[in-house]
Amino acid sequence: MNSSPPSRRSVLRWGAGAAGALAALPALTACGQTVGAARTTRQESTRPGQKVNLVFWTWVPMQKTVDLWNRTHPDIHVELQTVPASTQGGYQKMFSALSAGNPPDLAQVEYQELPAFMLVNGLTDLSGYGADKLRDSYVPWQWNQGVFGGRVHTIPQASGPMGLFHRQDLLAKWGLETPATWADFEQAARVVKARGGGARISAFNPSSPAWFAALCWQRGSRWVRTQDDTWIVAMNDDPSREVAEYWERMVRDDLVLVEPDLSSVWYRQLQTGQVVTWIGPQWGDALLRGNAPGTKGKWRAAPLPQWQAGENASANWGGASTAVLQGSRHPREALQFAHWINSDPKAVDLNIAAGYGWPAATGIFRGSALDKPDPFFGGQRYNDVFAASDRAIDTSWKWSPTTDADFAHLGDAFGASMAGDGTLTSALADAQKRTVDDLLAKGLKARSQS
Amino acid sequence: MSGTTPALGRRQRTARPDRAAWGFLLPFVALFLFVFVIPLGYAVYESLLKPIRSGPLGLGPASIGFAGLDNYTLALQQSDFLESFGRVLLFGIVQVPVMLLLATALALILDTLSQRWSGILRAAYFLPYGVPGVIASILWGFLYVPGVSPLVDLLDKVGLAPDFLGYHGVLWSIANIVIWEFTGYNMLVIVAQLKSIPQELYEAARIDGAGSWQTAVRIKLPLARPALVLTAVFSIIGTLQLFAEPLVIKPLTSTVTSSYTPNLAAYNEAFSNNNIYLAAAESVILALVASVLSFGFLSLVNRKERGAR
Repeated sequence: MNSSPPSRRSVLRWGAGAAGALAALPALTACGQTVGAARTTRQESTRPGQKVNLVFWTWVPMQKTVDLWNRTHPDIHVELQTVPASTQGGYQKMFSALSAGNPPDLAQVEYQELPAFMLVNGLTDLSGYGADKLRDSYVPWQWNQGVFGGRVHTIPQASGPMGLFHRQDLLAKWGLETPATWADFEQAARVVKARGGGARISAFNPSSPAWFAALCWQRGSRWVRTQDDTWIVAMNDDPSREVAEYWERMVRDDLVLVEPDLSSVWYRQLQTGQVVTWIGPQWGDALLRGNAPGTKGKWRAAPLPQWQAGENASANWGGASTAVLQGSRHPREALQFAHWINSDPKAVDLNIAAGYGWPAATGIFRGSALDKPDPFFGGQRYNDVFAASDRAIDTSWKWSPTTDADFAHLGDAFGASMAGDGTLTSALADAQKRTVDDLLAKGLKARSQS
Repeated sequence: MSGTTPALGRRQRTARPDRAAWGFLLPFVALFLFVFVIPLGYAVYESLLKPIRSGPLGLGPASIGFAGLDNYTLALQQSDFLESFGRVLLFGIVQVPVMLLLATALALILDTLSQRWSGILRAAYFLPYGVPGVIASILWGFLYVPGVSPLVDLLDKVGLAPDFLGYHGVLWSIANIVIWEFTGYNMLVIVAQLKSIPQELYEAARIDGAGSWQTAVRIKLPLARPALVLTAVFSIIGTLQLFAEPLVIKPLTSTVTSSYTPNLAAYNEAFSNNNIYLAAAESVILALVASVLSFGFLSLVNRKERGAR
């Protein structure tokens, strides 16, 4: 029987890409309290015929997929419990459960959050349970999001390749082509403002740093790097500043609506045509369909506008994995479920219907529920756009172990700048400084990129 | 022999009430210990710790070490944490007097009404207190959001274009929610105090020729003073602990930051940023400020009272 793998106690290295092979340090198991999960994963032996119960926390409505599992796997019963989405309470709940020692067996954890879970010893090392042989079933970059120190810590679920959702009817009415570059987009924004009768090309949400991060990602910025044992933060690098200046201009010239997207105001404006485009992720299709049903047939998807004509750079917004949390008593069965729900074609089709995002499983797109002309998008096979977008994502982007706080700082500073207190560019510098402070406060080595 | 018996009897007489008193006190003491003293002590203890990282990039196993006052220094160096105190103080300076004035005025009016009407109105004013703060904030949130709120639409038509969720307005929009929630409660405390004023005083005042205004100012208000002091202290503490309202309003607007109030800052530090040690330090600082302000207010009021005598 495989007991709790000791590798968590050995060296953990950030990402498969981190340079330099680091020799395993002697395990520093100082006596007394340790930080993070109060209970470690230990496989409990099961007798033949014994039913195993697993608890799964997620905010994606996957009940139908779980029902299918329970029908087809009588020995392992999974109970889905819905938690608030990501930082709106979901992670808070998971972190509390981890320190209290009563975590669920499985949980949905976004890629940008995985380092923070590593920092509190929150993820089970799945390599010890044979996860490595599943590697080929998944898109490499998504798989690598969960690999730390060469050990697999989570099974990828879905991602959010970005594209440009747009109202083709309205753009055509005002004599506009689908913007192919950011310069085109700005030009189109001026036309929409002039002819749109109060409409704007899009909304700029100052409190959505994940969205802003994706745009910087596309421009070629890398917010986080590592060098030896030090985290190097570069939110204020040249590409990010360029993105910030662009949106500063859009806001200053009143070309965009400044408001939270994915909010009731914004949904209303989608319905009334006051918002004409959305620079959004693939998983946004379900949101458009669900919240603006009256605009059916008028939307199209196009590639993300480029900084240089003819380029093909994309980015990712969101994306999550199915993690086996530290403390599970049935990691082997949990891993089996995590792999099934993310790779079984029937399961994936049900997940797609639930709007879970762009599948992380390879070779699943063709022939899936995504690979169809869609009446909401006027019969466009709109997911071909996102399939191409997915291939154009620079996969060397990395997240820090304090992403939530980084996002909070950025959102706060962006909000203040919208009220005239600073600018988007100064907000980047401010957030970068605070991020380094946070990392230092957590006892990590960190510095700003000079 | 004969001398010991009364002594024994005396001991028994004194011992019995002691036991009974402790018996009655036990539930309180137990609760006080478990939900107040122990958590408080634990928070102070946690605030003195910090994680010590190991391994490359600090992602290796971590242990916990003694931090001294590092967390306190760090908390006091964070400009947004300090700003959050300034914000709730400003909030309190405006919101507490407005709410207490309203509560007092309502209480005085109710006190002059007939039994039946005062009963109905008292229940009506008290009703918002029965609505949990989170629900109240959601309700008001819908009334603040342009495009969804009938209130904003109406004011827009009249020519006022209120930005309830704007950078400068949002604090007062939150104040409005708090006033809506707690005015009725405070009013009830003051009404109860007014009810305890003996009727003879009113008769005496009437005989001396005092009208209802003079009765209110010269008799009711001075005698309702303990209730006013109590509600003021509760409101000061409540203001510093402002949490649910900004947390619920936050998704509606980018102007409510993650450290908008001290409590929100500590919450986010603990559960978003996972730094419970720093969060504990922030909470202890908040508790200290709250006790300094409440005891400060009490001693100020008491000094005035002594000075008046």
